[in-house]
Amino acid sequence: MHTNRRNFLKLSATAAVATAFGGLGLGCTSKEAIAGRADAMDPKWSKQTTSVCCYCAVGCGLIVNTSLKDNRAINVEGDPDHPINEGALCAKGASIWQLAENDRRPDSVLYRAPYSSKFKKVSLSWALEKIAHNVKKTRDEAFTVVNKKGQKVNRCDNIASLGSAALDNEECWAFQTMLRSLGLVYIEHQARI
Amino acid sequence: MTNHWIDLKNSDTILIMGSNAAENHPISFKWVTKAQENGATVIHVDPRFTRTSTKADMHATLRSGTDISILGGMIKYILDNDLIFKEYVVNYTNASFIVGDDYTFEDGIFAGFDSKNKTYDKSKWAFAMDAKGNPKKDPTLKDPKCVYQMLKKHYERYTLDKIVEISGMKKADLIKLYETYAATGKSDKAGTIMYAMGWTQHTVGVQNIRSMAMIQLLLGNIGIAGGGVNALRGESNVQGSTDHCLLYHILPGYLKTPKATQQSLAAYDKVYTPISNDPKSANWWANYPKYSASLLKAMWRDQDPKDSFNYLPKLDSGSAADYSWLTLFDKMDEGQFKGLFAWGMNPACSGANSNKTRSAMTKLDWMVNVNIFPNETGWFWEGPGMDPSKIKTEVFFLPCAVSIEKEGSITNSGRWMQWRYKGPDAPNGLKPDGDLIYELMHEIQELYKKEGGAYPDPITKLSWDGIATNGVFDPHKTAKLINGFFTKDTEVKGKKFKKGDQIPSFAYLQTDGSTCSGNWLYCNSYTAKGNMAARRSLAQTEEQANIGLFPNFSWCWPVNRRILYNRASVDLKGNPWNPKKAVIKWTGPKTKWQGDIPDGGWAPGDKYAFIMRKHGFGQLFGPGRADGPFPEHYEPLECPVKSHPFSSTLHNPVALAFNDEAKAVCNPKFPLVGTTYRVAEHWQTGLMTRNCDWLTEAEPQIFVEMSTELAELRGIKNGEKVTVSSVRGTLWAVAIVTKRLKPFTIQGTVVHQVGLPWHFGWTWPKDGGDSANILTPSAGDPNTGIPETKAFMVNVSKA
Amino acid sequence: MSKTFFIDLTKCTACRGCQVACKQWKKLPAEKTENWGSHQNPKDLSGITLKLVRFNEVEEDGKIQWLFFPEQCRHCVEPPCLDAMTVPGSIVHDKETGAVVYTDLTAKEKDKEAFQASCPYDIPRINTETGMVVKCDMCIDRVKAGMLPACVATCPTGAMNFGDRDEMLALAEKSLTKAQKKYPNAELIDAESVRVVYLVQTDADSYYQFLSADASTIKKGPMTRKQFLAKLGNPIKHMTS
Repeated sequence: MHTNRRNFLKLSATAAVATAFGGLGLGCTSKEAIAGRADAMDPKWSKQTTSVCCYCAVGCGLIVNTSLKDNRAINVEGDPDHPINEGALCAKGASIWQLAENDRRPDSVLYRAPYSSKFKKVSLSWALEKIAHNVKKTRDEAFTVVNKKGQKVNRCDNIASLGSAALDNEECWAFQTMLRSLGLVYIEHQARI
Repeated sequence: MTNHWIDLKNSDTILIMGSNAAENHPISFKWVTKAQENGATVIHVDPRFTRTSTKADMHATLRSGTDISILGGMIKYILDNDLIFKEYVVNYTNASFIVGDDYTFEDGIFAGFDSKNKTYDKSKWAFAMDAKGNPKKDPTLKDPKCVYQMLKKHYERYTLDKIVEISGMKKADLIKLYETYAATGKSDKAGTIMYAMGWTQHTVGVQNIRSMAMIQLLLGNIGIAGGGVNALRGESNVQGSTDHCLLYHILPGYLKTPKATQQSLAAYDKVYTPISNDPKSANWWANYPKYSASLLKAMWRDQDPKDSFNYLPKLDSGSAADYSWLTLFDKMDEGQFKGLFAWGMNPACSGANSNKTRSAMTKLDWMVNVNIFPNETGWFWEGPGMDPSKIKTEVFFLPCAVSIEKEGSITNSGRWMQWRYKGPDAPNGLKPDGDLIYELMHEIQELYKKEGGAYPDPITKLSWDGIATNGVFDPHKTAKLINGFFTKDTEVKGKKFKKGDQIPSFAYLQTDGSTCSGNWLYCNSYTAKGNMAARRSLAQTEEQANIGLFPNFSWCWPVNRRILYNRASVDLKGNPWNPKKAVIKWTGPKTKWQGDIPDGGWAPGDKYAFIMRKHGFGQLFGPGRADGPFPEHYEPLECPVKSHPFSSTLHNPVALAFNDEAKAVCNPKFPLVGTTYRVAEHWQTGLMTRNCDWLTEAEPQIFVEMSTELAELRGIKNGEKVTVSSVRGTLWAVAIVTKRLKPFTIQGTVVHQVGLPWHFGWTWPKDGGDSANILTPSAGDPNTGIPETKAFMVNVSKA
Repeated sequence: MSKTFFIDLTKCTACRGCQVACKQWKKLPAEKTENWGSHQNPKDLSGITLKLVRFNEVEEDGKIQWLFFPEQCRHCVEPPCLDAMTVPGSIVHDKETGAVVYTDLTAKEKDKEAFQASCPYDIPRINTETGMVVKCDMCIDRVKAGMLPACVATCPTGAMNFGDRDEMLALAEKSLTKAQKKYPNAELIDAESVRVVYLVQTDADSYYQFLSADASTIKKGPMTRKQFLAKLGNPIKHMTS
C-alpha cells in the first residue's frame, strides 16, 4: 500500500520545490551560529576527560567536556572509543551532565538539631568535628570487649553503617578500613538489597 | 559475571530470566543484538512483557517466585533426554562424587533440619570420603548414591504438568524453552544467562541462581565464550564495593569476617584455609593466610599481622539472620543503634518494608547522611507521618562531588576495573566521598590520640596516611595500597624486590608481613607497569579479537582474566571444545596457553578445572548453602496458594523472617501477586534521577501496571490514580492498564499479578509518589539475607 | 554528499537515550509531565521536545507487540514546509547535507501554525518562549564538525544510523531483507522522499498515525496538508476528515 504513497510523495515534493523553494538562497544563518556548540568541544575552549557512567554496572565510557573558562561541565556523552558502549548511552547515561549542573544540589553541609523542624547550614569542619565526637562518645560508652560467652570480640555494636556501591573502589576500601578500625560489624550496602 | 558484556555476542542462546536487561542494563542490548545478528536466539522469561521481551525471539511468562519449578524442570528435561555435555560433566563437575549416607530429602526437607532454630546441620550433606580423605567418585555416573543419580532422583517430581500448574507458564512455552536452551549442551554451542534482582530478591534467591549454575554445568556452558553465569550487577560499582566487602560477613577480597571463636590469626586462618589431599586440586584458597596477613598489613602497617588481627572486630556468628540488612533495621527499631552512617545510600526507600525502616530511624541519636541531593533518609524526620518535634535524631547531611567531578576507579559487572578522571570542579567546593572519609577518620584518630578511649589501638595505630598525600585523600596512593607493595626488601620466586616496590600479582603475597595488599583480588591492578585500570589500548591478538576479550583495555580481576573458569573451556588436552570461539588453547610446553589468561598456568590435565573449589570441581551438589545442597521449589513467604505440587513444605523452612510480622498467604484482603522493578529512566530509589529533570520528564510518577482483565474487575481506568496496599502499608500509584500483563491460571484458579517501580520518594518530585518498598516484606534469603521484594501479596483499588 | 538517517525500529528498545541526548546536546529544558497511563512522556513533541520516543501496544491473535517510534523531523528531500515560509531565511535547506534547518527568523513569521500544518508528518512546533518554530535540525552543528547527530551517537543497538544518503539507503534495503525473515510485513517508509527512513516491523499506523505521510488533519495554513497533497491527485490515506 505504501508504493503509491511513496510515488506520490516524490511527486509532491518535486512540486513543492518548484512552487516554493525557487529563488531562496542558503546561508541566512551564519556558519558561526550553526557551529557554536560543536566548537565549544574544541580543546581551545574545553578540556576533554574520560569517565565511566555512574548508573548501572555495564560500565559505559563517557567523554566529559569541561569549559576552560569556569571549570564546569558543558557536555557529557558516550565515549566512541570505549569497547563496551562504543559511544552509546541510555537515557540515564545521556543525562549525566544534568546530575552535575543541577540547582537542587545543596551548596553546604546541613545540620538538624534534635527535635528541630529544619536543617541549618554549617561548615564542613564544624560538622566533622561534631561527628567525630559523636562517634567517640557512642563507641566508648558501650564498646563490646567480650560477648555473652566471654569471648573477646572488641566491637562496636551501637553504630551501623550503610553504603555504598556509589563510591569508587579506593573510597570503598578507605570506608571499610575506617569502619572496621572503629570496630563496626553492622556494615551493609546496596549489594545486600 | 563469570564472563563480560562484550562476550554476550558469542552466545548461541541467551536466556534472560530474572532480569529486564533492555530497560535496566540498556547497553547490554548492544551485545545481545549483535548475538542475534549472528543468529542467536534470545529468550525472555518474565511475568511481564517488557522492553526486553519486544526484542526477544521468545517470551514466556511465569508467576513471580516460581523460577525453581521451571529450572528444576529443565534439569529433569536435560537428564531425561540425556542432553548433558557428558565429557564436561564427568571431568569438571562433582556429578561423579558419592554423597554420604546421612543425606536424605523427604517432603521438602533436607537431612539435618533443626525445626526449633530453623537451621540445617550441613554436616549431614557431606560427601563419602576415601581412605586418602578425598571424595569417592564413580565416573560411570551409575552409582545410585552419586550426585548425578541423586540429581535425577531429586527432580523426578518436577513434571511438566506440575510446573504449569504452579508457575502459570503455558505448557507449549515450557517445552519450547527446554528444547531451545538444552540444545546448548553441544560442544560447539554456547548458552548464557542474564539475571539480576528478579532472581536474588526471593527467600530462595541463592537457589534460583544455583539452579541455573547447575544447568550451565550440565550443558558445559561455564568457562566458555558466550556462556557463564552472568549476574547483571546494579550500581556502577556494586561489583567493586562487594569486592572491597562493605558487608558484615566479609573483608576485602572475600576473606571472612573473624568470629568470636577465632581468637588468633592462626586459628582464623586455619578455619578458612581449605585442605585438599588430591594433588590435582589447585585448591586456590590454600593461599588464604597470605591474603589475610597482607590485608592486615595494609591497614596497620607498623604492626605484626598476628597482633593487628586482634584489632579486627569479631562476629558472634556468620548468619545473615544475626547481622544482615533486615536484621540491622529490626535491631535499629528495637533501639540497639545510637549512630548510623547512611553514606551514598537511601535506605528509607531502598530497603524492604519502608515504614519499618523509617520508623526505626527515629530511634537513632545521630545520623550521618552523605549524598548528592536531599533525600528521604537524611530528611526522614519531616517525612509523611513524622512529627519533627518528637524526633531526637541529630542529622548531619554532607553533600558530595558527583562521579565526573572526581578521580578513581570503579569495577563493572564484567569485573573490569576502570579509571575515571576528574572533569569539572564540584560546585561550592563540595568534596569527593574519599576526602570526607579521610577527613572524618583523621578527626576521630586525632581525638583518640588526644583523649584515649575504649580500645583505642585499632584507631590510633591505623595507617591512615597510607591513603593520603599531604593530608589530602589520594586515590592513586590508595589504589597502589589496594594492589599492595613490599614492606621490606624481599626475594620471592627468585625475584628480588625492594621495600616499596609494587607487588606484581597475588602469587607474590606472603604470610610474614613482608607484603601488604588491601585486596588480594586487585593485586596486579597497579604495578610497576603503572595504573592498569587506566589502560585504553584496543590492541589484541587475532584469537582475542575473535571473541572480543580486549585484554589491554582497563584491567579485570583476577590477574586480568576476562572469562572465569576458562580451564573448563578446553578438554583435558587443552583443546577448546569449540575451536571457532576458543577462550584459551594449549600450544605446548614452551609456548603454553594462548588467548585469555588461563585459570592458572599449569599444563592441561595437571589440575582440575575449578581451581577455587576445594576439590576442584563445579558443584552440582552444593553442600555449603544454608538451605540445601539441591535447589527446591518453595513458595514466597507471601503467596496466593495453600500448597504446591512438589512437597507439603510450603515455604523455605530456613528463610529469614521476623516472627511477629504477619504475612499474607491466601489472604482474601491481598489477593494479587505484587512485584517491584526498575525502568530505564530511573536509578534505584530514584534519588539521583528524580532530580534530573530530563529523566523525571520521561517517567514522572509512580505507576502500577496491571492487566486489562484485572482493571475491568476493579473498575479501574488507564491513567487514573489507584491505591495499592499490602499487610505493611499503602500508597497511591497511577494505573497503567496494559495487555503486556496477563492473568495466570494457578492450580485452576485465576491469579493476577501487578508490579510497581521502586524509584519514587516523597521528597521530589512533589507529585511523584512514594517508594514501592512501603509494600514489601521484611523477609529474606537464608544465605544472603537479601529481601524478598520480587514476590509478595497486595491489593489494588480505586483511589 | 547529502545525509540521511536510517532508523531500524526492529532494533529499538526504547531506552530513550536519543530523547535525552537530544535535550542534553541542545540544553533544552524538561517539560512538567504526568503519567497518563503510558510510558511515553512527554505526550507529544513541543517547542522544547524535538525528539520523542512514542510507545504503542498492539495485540493481534493473542500476540502482543509493543512498538517504539523515536520520532523526529524527516528532513524531506523536497520539504513541503518551505511552502509555509513567508520570511526569507526562516528555513534553511542546507545543500551539503540536505538538512532542513529552522532559523531564529521563524519568530518573525506571522502564521507559525502553517509550518506544522504543512508537514505530512506533523512535526514542527512553536516554542512559546522564543516565538520560534522549532524541530530537529539534524544536529547540523555536530554534522558540520564531523560528528554524528546526538541521537545517533547514543543509540546502543544500531537502531539509529546516519551517514551518506546512498550508504544509508543501501543499509536500509539490506536491513529490510533481514527483518522480513522475522517480520514478513516489514517495510521502509517513504524512503525516496525523506532523509529519515524508518524500517517498520508492522504497518506504520500501528506505531503512530504520522509515522508515514498523512493528510488527514486539516489545519490552517497557506496550504493545508490535505490541499497540498490532494491537488496532486494521488491516492493518500486518511482523507476522511
